[in-house]
Amino acid sequence: MKRTSRSDFEKYRRLAMLALLWALSGWARAADLHPPATVEAGHAFSIPVPGSGPGTFYLVGPDHVVKRDVSLGSDLEIESRDVRAAGRYQVILCDSACTSAPFEVKAAQPAHLSFFLHPSRVPVSTPNSIDGTAFVFDQYFNLVLTPAAVDFQITPASGTGFARRVSSRHGVAWMRTDSTKHEGRVQVTAASGSVQEARVVQQVAAEACALRVKAVPSGNMVTLETDPVRDCSGNTLPDGTVISFTTVDREGKTTVDTPIKKGVARTQLSVHGRAQISVACGVIEGNEVAVNGKL
Amino acid sequence: MKGMAPMRLSLQLSLNRLSLCFFKASSFVLAAGLLAMAQSAPQVHLDADGLAPRPIEELTGQTIARYYALAWRDMASALDSNNAAGLGEEFVGFAKDRLTRRIAEQKQTGVHVRIVDHGHRLKAVFYSTDGAAMQLLDQAELEIQTLDGNKLLDTQNAPREYLVLVTPGADRWYIRDLEEVSAKPF
Repeated sequence: MKRTSRSDFEKYRRLAMLALLWALSGWARAADLHPPATVEAGHAFSIPVPGSGPGTFYLVGPDHVVKRDVSLGSDLEIESRDVRAAGRYQVILCDSACTSAPFEVKAAQPAHLSFFLHPSRVPVSTPNSIDGTAFVFDQYFNLVLTPAAVDFQITPASGTGFARRVSSRHGVAWMRTDSTKHEGRVQVTAASGSVQEARVVQQVAAEACALRVKAVPSGNMVTLETDPVRDCSGNTLPDGTVISFTTVDREGKTTVDTPIKKGVARTQLSVHGRAQISVACGVIEGNEVAVNGKL
Repeated sequence: MKGMAPMRLSLQLSLNRLSLCFFKASSFVLAAGLLAMAQSAPQVHLDADGLAPRPIEELTGQTIARYYALAWRDMASALDSNNAAGLGEEFVGFAKDRLTRRIAEQKQTGVHVRIVDHGHRLKAVFYSTDGAAMQLLDQAELEIQTLDGNKLLDTQNAPREYLVLVTPGADRWYIRDLEEVSAKPF
């Protein structure tokens, strides 16, 4: 077995020392690259780089990649346009070896709201029927993840409005509210700081309430007409809403559907002998009348 | 003793059935290998427990997980090949604009990024009442290598967290915003 000579031992020792120095130099340089941990989107900054000689600098971000030759020993200038997108960035500096460090770009102040209001039409006096969702973005359309106050202002066409303040979570603020008592346009505004967005929901009458029909006989014909058809809050049901008149006489059962025109529904039916007439709007039933006898 | 093997099999089948019973409707596991379409897609697990203001339907959860896996597969391929056409149809809006720009600049500088994807744990945190938008937090296990040509510049191998905004389309869910955030457990 060959024995290791003193000169071989010295050679290995030098190699080990060189390897250690190389590793330590790499470690030292990695420790030297110190970008700030977080930066606001669109803000320029610089990273000091000690050393000397030429090097190559890389910046790899969510929507931007930079590669440029630099002189070590001077500051690395990161321009505002290099850091517009929020997210994680990696700076890499290479000369004979490469070293890297991450930093995070966070969204700037709220500058845009993306506001969705649902639905576009809603019956009056319906609990939890209006939903508003606002996404909070900065000027570069990064979602603002820092909680931001979003004020929802609900303004009905008649009656008093009200406001609700919600704190955004992960850039989203949402609210749910009841529709008010009166039909018409309701404006909902979402605002955060100086930014605001408005949307409109149309409130329409709810189901018919206290539906009444009156009958005017004339020979074997009878004219049927409802009172103005309203919901329980007094809102007139829209024209076109279908009202069903049902007649039961000795010939059998007859149903006529007729739309509301100018707030009332009207039709004419022939009756044979004594007849029982009823009225309905969807699942809502109204009064009953008897004809060819006492009304 | 001869009857023990069928008994053990029967017991195992019963346990399997029992475990299926415990399957939570709001928790979906998508094994990439199960779908021919997503053979090289990473594994995505979606947890939608306590989602507000709207709960998630099982089929919706499966669709989101499937298309999210495809999106990551396509994004990894596009960032490696510097070919924006490879992004597929899973990205729209800001997400697509940003990725397209990045790929163009990667190509210009000769940089490319190789992602070894070890899977994603998605937590659904917001689903709008009208079903028009969903927000997800993704805890991803990724190994990311940055290369200039063939020269390896940097390797990162740490858990990453992304905030994702997805919106529904005719037959799929699209990624509208994908933003990496400070990694912390959720």
